[in-house]
Amino acid sequence: MPRVRARQRARTLSLQNGAIPAVLTHATTLRDLHTADREPLVQVRDAVKTYGPTKALSGVTLDVHSGEVFGVVGHNGAGKSTLMRVLSGLDAIDSGSVQINGVTRPFGNGFPGVRMAYQEGSLALELTVCENIYLSSHSWIPDRRWHGPAARRAARRLDEIFPGHGISPADYVDDLPLADRQMVEISRATIADDLSLLILDEPTESLSGSAVDHLYDYVRRLRAKGHAIILVSHRLREILSVCDRVAVMKDGAVVSTHAAGSVTEQDLFLAMGGEVVSDKEGVGARPTATDTARPVSVKVPMATVEGAATQIVARKGEVIGLAGIAGQGQQRVLDRLWCRNPDVEVSQALAYVPGDRQRSGILPIWDVARNLTITTLPKLGKNGIRDADKEASLVAEWVDRLKISGGANAAITGLSGGNQQKVIVARAFASDADTILLDDPFRGVDVHTKAELYQLIKSEARKGRTIVWYSSENSEMQHCDRAYVLRADRIAGELHGPQITDERIISLSFAEAREARA
Amino acid sequence: MNTAILQQAQLTWPRGLGRRVLPGCLTLVAMVLILIVCGMIQPRIWSQNGLTLIMSPIVALAIASMAQMVMMSIGDIDLGIGFFVGMVTTIVATLLRDTPVLGVLALAGAVLAYALLGALVQLRAVPSLIATLGASFVWLGLGLFVLPVPGGMAPDWLFAYAFWKPPLSIPAPLVTMVAATALTWFVTRRTGLGVRFRSLGSNPVALTRSGSSLVVTRMLAYAMVGVLGVLAGITLTAEIGGGDVNAVPGYTLTTVAAVILGGGMFTGGRAVAWGTLAGAITLGLLTVLLTLLSLSSNLQPAVQGFIVIAVLAGRLVVERMSR
Repeated sequence: MPRVRARQRARTLSLQNGAIPAVLTHATTLRDLHTADREPLVQVRDAVKTYGPTKALSGVTLDVHSGEVFGVVGHNGAGKSTLMRVLSGLDAIDSGSVQINGVTRPFGNGFPGVRMAYQEGSLALELTVCENIYLSSHSWIPDRRWHGPAARRAARRLDEIFPGHGISPADYVDDLPLADRQMVEISRATIADDLSLLILDEPTESLSGSAVDHLYDYVRRLRAKGHAIILVSHRLREILSVCDRVAVMKDGAVVSTHAAGSVTEQDLFLAMGGEVVSDKEGVGARPTATDTARPVSVKVPMATVEGAATQIVARKGEVIGLAGIAGQGQQRVLDRLWCRNPDVEVSQALAYVPGDRQRSGILPIWDVARNLTITTLPKLGKNGIRDADKEASLVAEWVDRLKISGGANAAITGLSGGNQQKVIVARAFASDADTILLDDPFRGVDVHTKAELYQLIKSEARKGRTIVWYSSENSEMQHCDRAYVLRADRIAGELHGPQITDERIISLSFAEAREARA
Repeated sequence: MNTAILQQAQLTWPRGLGRRVLPGCLTLVAMVLILIVCGMIQPRIWSQNGLTLIMSPIVALAIASMAQMVMMSIGDIDLGIGFFVGMVTTIVATLLRDTPVLGVLALAGAVLAYALLGALVQLRAVPSLIATLGASFVWLGLGLFVLPVPGGMAPDWLFAYAFWKPPLSIPAPLVTMVAATALTWFVTRRTGLGVRFRSLGSNPVALTRSGSSLVVTRMLAYAMVGVLGVLAGITLTAEIGGGDVNAVPGYTLTTVAAVILGGGMFTGGRAVAWGTLAGAITLGLLTVLLTLLSLSSNLQPAVQGFIVIAVLAGRLVVERMSR
């Protein structure tokens, strides 16, 4: 037995040097050897991570071996991003253990040998490609006269992964198209001499078809060299075609791990909490007769995932949901409405409730009353002169109605997040807008407040207002009359009343795969 | 295949480079035009002495502009550089002349103070505008403490520098300015430290993910601003012969204008040393041009302001059209 081990180790070594012995060229044989013999490269045990009141990871346990491609799938808020941040060493976990390469605590620069290609935000736009590579991989580039080596490494790696890319190391990232930036980002992550685990977070979201193929070819080559790769993607078809094993995450935990060869896309979205719905039910269902009687207040032309023209229609008194995986174009629909793009039809008065209350919601040095009345101020006064009595009564009405703790004169920053959100919602509803746009406004708000605000939305809709509501939380969508599920800026399906369930939304979110099968 | 790629990279103009060097080139053209006009009105400008005469008041401005350029490359703005340079002149004209050791220590302390200011901006999230504005009053107070009224005397070696005539009839101020610019260019564009500076201005997240410390990077950038500020103060002392904390409060905004003319941005990330040099010389020569045209030099700030607004507006239009 020891002799066998030694031989295997020798093979592994020679493999890492790039020479693949003839007997071991078959990838499966190689992987079996690795997994059977070595202890896993990545070992996560009961990892728990909480951000304030939300539990992002509720006890994740998983193993990733060297020489395998490990897929991670899950819907919004399943904890994928948090898990990746933990694995790359950006975040520390609250309890449990993470061991990568035998190291249990990340150094200042993360776990050694772990590199991650981010979906966005990790390139400095004002720097050239070569400078970005140097910034990120300076440990492996000489400190003096680094321009040449950095440029050569960048060019070589780009050629290796994306032949025919057309990116020069001297190009400024700011002037590259999105797809090229993503190529640079992926190459950046792979330029490390001690690479043992590569994490790819939605790498193909902005890449074109041939670049996607090139990337996955490279991933397979890395696997053959004995590296581990973790691939996070919404594209189940890609996951199944390139991964060896797939973990399904839900509610901050890994609910199941599958061998990629033995599952179908359907199995995966069942595991994520989806349900299989026939295509007929999902797309193109006709609005019922009672709906058509009401006047239309919002119309947004869209395309279905199949490419057919359709539109998002909201009638007076309706609550319309925009659901699906975060970042699939829901906010762009709201933007088009709010900016009154020429192609949309929308009623006269609009109000907008932002989701990011710190950045675009509250006026931090004002009190509750001023924050609440800012939108409707011109309507309350006369000839530009404010009417203090009217303002006070309006504020009193809403403070009372939504039970905003602290009252009208409390400083807005002294309020809890939930109460701040109440003020922002009240601001929109206190105006005379007949269409209200909600941009995922209830993230991080406590359950009790949410329940009150759902009630408010429903009662205001009954009074004849139209609500267009984007939410990243599927369970919120059940408060809508109808919900459109978006996928890559297109409509994957429309759900009515009781049809709007977590399961239906999840299965429609992955409509791309269904479309391909059909 | 590698060499082919590199050759191709050298042959084609890198994307985005033009957009970044064009403003500085235009400013350079403006500078040459102003020099030609000045020379046509007063031909004696075109001599070593003449050029030295019109350039020497610009040296300190050019170096202070380098300081401002480093500050703006990390996305900050220094509102205290004018009084800082003034304070340095008071130290140079007194301490550095009388007790050189103490003088050097005081100047080193000033640089250290700048580095600490950088730490304050990073750690306490104080806007750089506020921090440097506050610091400017400290510089003013310290300067008044050292020299309540303009006075003192530059050290002898500085006088020697002021009367230095380089060979080949090159004007001495030009040598100093080019040396300071080359140094700034080298640090901000060729070294890894410069990459970190610009990355801090362009995308701090990228810098964090690369494992570098934001605090250390910002402190080093501020220290470099301090060093350049001290150099500007020393050259200014040579120019005016003594110390005066109120010598150049106008530098604060003129240096910002010079950086903008050179192609810098308020949002950070761009380090344009040579463009900034052209910008500083252009702004300095405006005074000369106005004098030669027999216009009041009091008009200069207004002309400067107009030029800066025109340049920013023009650049905005060009960027819109090119997108």
